[in-house]
Amino acid sequence: MELQHSFTVPSSPTDTWEAFTDVASVAGCFPGAEVTQTDGTEFEGTCKVKLGPIALVYSGTGRFVEQDPEQGRFVIEAKGKDKRGNGTAGATVTATLTPVSSGTAVAVVTDLQITGKPAQFGRGVIQDVSDKLLQQFVSCLEQRLTPPETAPHEPEPEAPPPVVGAPPPLAEADDDALDLGGALLPVLVKNYGKQALAVLVALLVVLRAVRRRR
Amino acid sequence: MIPASFDYTAPTTIDEALAALADAGDEAKIIAGGQSLLPVLRMRLNAPSTVIDLGRIDGLRGIREEGDALVIGAMTTHDDVMHDALVHEHALLLIKATSTVADPQVRHRGTLGGSLAHADPAGDLGAVALALDASFVIMGRDGSRTVAADDFFVGLFETAVGEGEILTEIRIPKHTGWGAHYEKFVRVVHQWSIVAVAATVHHEGGTIHEARIGLTNMGATPLRARATEDALHGVFATDEDVRAAVANIAEGTDPPSDLNGDAEYRRDLAVVLARRAVLHACGV
Repeated sequence: MELQHSFTVPSSPTDTWEAFTDVASVAGCFPGAEVTQTDGTEFEGTCKVKLGPIALVYSGTGRFVEQDPEQGRFVIEAKGKDKRGNGTAGATVTATLTPVSSGTAVAVVTDLQITGKPAQFGRGVIQDVSDKLLQQFVSCLEQRLTPPETAPHEPEPEAPPPVVGAPPPLAEADDDALDLGGALLPVLVKNYGKQALAVLVALLVVLRAVRRRR
Repeated sequence: MIPASFDYTAPTTIDEALAALADAGDEAKIIAGGQSLLPVLRMRLNAPSTVIDLGRIDGLRGIREEGDALVIGAMTTHDDVMHDALVHEHALLLIKATSTVADPQVRHRGTLGGSLAHADPAGDLGAVALALDASFVIMGRDGSRTVAADDFFVGLFETAVGEGEILTEIRIPKHTGWGAHYEKFVRVVHQWSIVAVAATVHHEGGTIHEARIGLTNMGATPLRARATEDALHGVFATDEDVRAAVANIAEGTDPPSDLNGDAEYRRDLAVVLARRAVLHACGV
């Protein structure tokens, strides 16, 4: 199945490419992740995933199938396997960087193959989970890619927690600040814990690959 | 499936348990009733190096009065809570919700503290703890601290209980004489709540003086519907008036979408269940 994500970071395509390939810069965005071995365009890594009662260690391998800094495009094939169980996931990820006025637009297309039972659940679920994961990764990456001297703005004030049961404010008909992923995961974990994590691993492996291209 | 191997320790005091926890670090898991942890272990979704069983610490069980509050030991089972006269008199909402938790086998093993510390957003007791203004006593090696329910549920499966800490007591202010109802929507009786509404109401002569409402599975944590509580103040306990007062209860919530129903469906459900819960709590 194919998943598509896009986001924009406030830095030039060259800087973004550099940052993507800067291990130190990207590593911190995924706690528990570790590259154990790299060899040319191939790499191996492990990732510890913790979510509430669940803690899994995945090991993954991947390789760059294509890297084109001038076109701002790279393709990675990755596989992840649960170390203790038997969940697997494979992914082919194509990322494209495009200059835009506000920085660099990054488009990521992920072709995901999950084997066994996980394959039975619907696309919407995977999309939501991967959206949530990518969101976390991107917001972390965005912070790191925003040069401090050009962005001296103060941290945005946190929105007050919503008052449950209050009538909706009139002006906010188009509120896109809702974070559906967070609310979705609990049910996913109960119903699809393993599968969801397999997806996560696939993504992690991909991102690992992205950052190691140096 | 069979869990991966782990060390097992069953201390008899809280100090010993805290020491065991400090020794094992983040590879340890605490087991209370085991009704959530064991399935996780059996499916190998976790493989802790050490499992610390709180089941032999006598001080963690039981229910007592302390001034204006009930104090419930974290290891008190659901079944014990359900059949306790003090809880029945002073925190009826807890009885109503606890009696809907899973099935009798689970309620005989599962514990109030374990369920709250697990913090599953579809778990039934978080909404109750919020509605009843419960507070949580958490012990660490440096002593104990008390956390209000509003600050206890931090996120998905995440509470204020830190690594190296143990939830020991739940303190519930007495709601003596308050009506209560837990309206839970499931398709299979022992299923996790698709949505549920916990309501406890102080009413007199058909008028609601005060209402407290908690929502289950309408976000990453249990939620308290404060604006709806305000809207219910002074309302007559009639279908029409309560219906109007709870109409906006889904505002500000962030329910999940899954095979049981999408977010919009859950929002509608919350409104319907809230009306039923409040009316039942008023004895209507």
